Amino acid sequence: MENNKNELFTFAEFDESKSEHIEAPRYSYWKSVWRTFVRNKFTVAVCIFMLIVVVFSMIQPIFSQYDPMYMPNINDATLKFLGPSSQHLFGTDNFGRDVFDACWAGAKNSLIIGFVCTLINMILGVVIGAIWGFSKKMDRWMIEIYNVISNVPFLLLAMVLSYVLGSGFRSLIFIMCVTNWIYVAYFIRTQVMIIRDREYNLASRCLGTSTWTMITKNILPYLISVIMTYTAREIPANISYEVFLSFLGLGLGQQNASLGRMISQYTTYMNAYPHLFWIPVSILAVISISLYIVGQALADASDPRTHR
Amino acid sequence: MEKGYYIKRIVRSIISIFIVITVVFILVYSLVPRDRIFNADDTIVKLGGKPDERQLYKMRTWQRLGYLTFESMSSYCSLTYEVGSDDIVACNTAGSKDEANFVEKYTNEGYTIEYLPVSGSPIAYKERAIISRVLEWFGQLIQIDNKNFVENTYGVEIEERVYFGRTPTGGLALKCDGCEHKYLLYTDLSFPFIHQNVLSLHLGQSYPTFDSLQVLNVITDSQGQENRKDTIFEDGHTEVSSLKMTSCRYKPNLDKLDRNRFADNYADCVIQKKSPSMMGTSFIMGVIALILAYGIGLPVGLAMAKSKSGVVDKIGMVYIIFMISVPSLAYIYFFKFIGSTVFGLPSAFPTYGSEDIRSWILPCISLALPSISSLMLWTRRYMVDQMNSDYVKFAKSKGLNQGEIYRKHIFRNAIIPIAQGIPSSLAGCLTGAIITEQVYSVGGMGKMLPDSINSYNNAMIIALAFIYTTISIVAVFAGDIIITWIDPRISLASKEEGR
Repeated sequence: MENNKNELFTFAEFDESKSEHIEAPRYSYWKSVWRTFVRNKFTVAVCIFMLIVVVFSMIQPIFSQYDPMYMPNINDATLKFLGPSSQHLFGTDNFGRDVFDACWAGAKNSLIIGFVCTLINMILGVVIGAIWGFSKKMDRWMIEIYNVISNVPFLLLAMVLSYVLGSGFRSLIFIMCVTNWIYVAYFIRTQVMIIRDREYNLASRCLGTSTWTMITKNILPYLISVIMTYTAREIPANISYEVFLSFLGLGLGQQNASLGRMISQYTTYMNAYPHLFWIPVSILAVISISLYIVGQALADASDPRTHR
Repeated sequence: MEKGYYIKRIVRSIISIFIVITVVFILVYSLVPRDRIFNADDTIVKLGGKPDERQLYKMRTWQRLGYLTFESMSSYCSLTYEVGSDDIVACNTAGSKDEANFVEKYTNEGYTIEYLPVSGSPIAYKERAIISRVLEWFGQLIQIDNKNFVENTYGVEIEERVYFGRTPTGGLALKCDGCEHKYLLYTDLSFPFIHQNVLSLHLGQSYPTFDSLQVLNVITDSQGQENRKDTIFEDGHTEVSSLKMTSCRYKPNLDKLDRNRFADNYADCVIQKKSPSMMGTSFIMGVIALILAYGIGLPVGLAMAKSKSGVVDKIGMVYIIFMISVPSLAYIYFFKFIGSTVFGLPSAFPTYGSEDIRSWILPCISLALPSISSLMLWTRRYMVDQMNSDYVKFAKSKGLNQGEIYRKHIFRNAIIPIAQGIPSSLAGCLTGAIITEQVYSVGGMGKMLPDSINSYNNAMIIALAFIYTTISIVAVFAGDIIITWIDPRISLASKEEGR
């Protein structure tokens, strides 16, 4: 018995300084997010693919200088409706324009609108929503405003506004932001209300923490994964709205390249020249699917409960 | 307490509708250049060589649409002098002394004076305030038929009476002489069996498309070919006709054909056509899509929750991700392509028309697809959330079998938020049809909004805004009422208090 014990255990030397250290592994939130995100090889591949597409659609239009109003080959029948070739990768359309250039110029506009609108909506929504969730006085007013706005179908509002403001880049961004932030704000408000009365926040308030510190230090970090999930859904949705409005002739004007407008123009050639129609549709689909997958993966990774 | 909540909520809904319509009014009538409404008007083109008449036509149209009040020299002259006298001719001649009186009179009344480009004769107009137009719009919104209608509108004295009688086809009816409609209330064999003509909505006059028609009639009247069949007329004779006897309204001036057909002046009848109305088409499509969506989405969502992270779940998730991330435009075309090439279904609604069932298949499916994916997603979410809750663990430990727990415990709790969404998704089918109807060229209501925007049909835009807003408000309200039926624990009023 005595011998066995001696084999299993050895004496450690007593070191007083060691008791002063806390022996827990260092935890950095963003590093853990990164580690969790990288762990899934599929999403990393999609992410790299997405970055290539985004960078390409930002750079390619600079070189091509594509302008939908510039149609030098409009009278040259031999340059119309060409199939994909080495000179015109995606062929040419009914005005002799290069579809490859048109697609990337359109993708660039769609991406810019998707990102800018999401950014504006999320910033406005999160800031206002956080204050809204805290202030009872503000809640009484905001809930009435929300009731009115949420009763109006968004498409109706978007269409009426683009009818009134005319088509164009700025008016489109305005249309897609003017009411949509309130849905984000309402969502954040509900989330804030759920956790603002949790014990740790009650304790924090008892200790005299200011409202601002409560929001920025106690509550918003808790909501990061929720906000990320929302953002990941918002970007493809905004791209979809842009495409839809342009399809109806209400979004971007004739002078801006737009995937939605291309799709609506090329539907007539769906049977005769299917590549004209399917190429913009597939580019659109590929861009928004990859954005969505990466966004969801980031959202999952930003939830501390998934960290190991 | 509950009753008080409902009243408050109804008042709030009406205020919301009012605010929305006011905002749309302000947007449409003050920010859109008013010259644009003539873009789709042929008359303007015909008057191209006659600047004076063109100007007068524009002014009259603006007056008719409520933009302004307008006075011209000719209307002033016929008011001041007797018709047919020499004075009126002298008055209408350019440069007469009456022109000075005209200018003075209307300048004092606050009108703006302009001169016609060729003849130089003056015209006067005054802008109307938006808010007074909004109030007028709401004032005219609900019209009640009364027995003084004919006398008040046309100045014709007829014997006024309201009495019970029968429709030509034999149904019971409350008839009226002197009202706008002959039949105030009547029964027949078509849904909903009892019909009324007493209350009608007046949503404004359509212009420039569907010119001089009531907006509501544009949306609710049947479309397509006339539906001619043997019709029994008021006086008992039968004739092949497409008129609907129970819809007849008072017509002040009868022509010869009318006199042969009708015993009295109620001869302005609706022409029945073969295809359903725009609203009807959208509604039928919406209901079919909704049934499809719940019939497929719910069971699949349940199956996904049962096989959590199994094969069914993974396939379902792929579909959901596809539907959420791909823009609706892309997948509608994708399914249209598959449907028309693989299954040989018509890719456009008008190819076979509304009578052929094949025309309906693809639009209904495209409409249902996004609802299916979101239903699957939420059903799965709610089911999974409930599956992890304590009462389920308790039920399991008590020895209930899996099926029983699913059916009697989890499903009943998970269904509550889903049931709340039913009215909203029906409303969503009506408004969401905008894109589907455009792609399949369905003659429904969804296509009307982009069409009326592109043709600058302002009255139609306002009317559609009203209809859509009302539908969505009613839908959300109905959803809330449904959950209080399903789940007695939920009280709308106290929920409001608790916040």
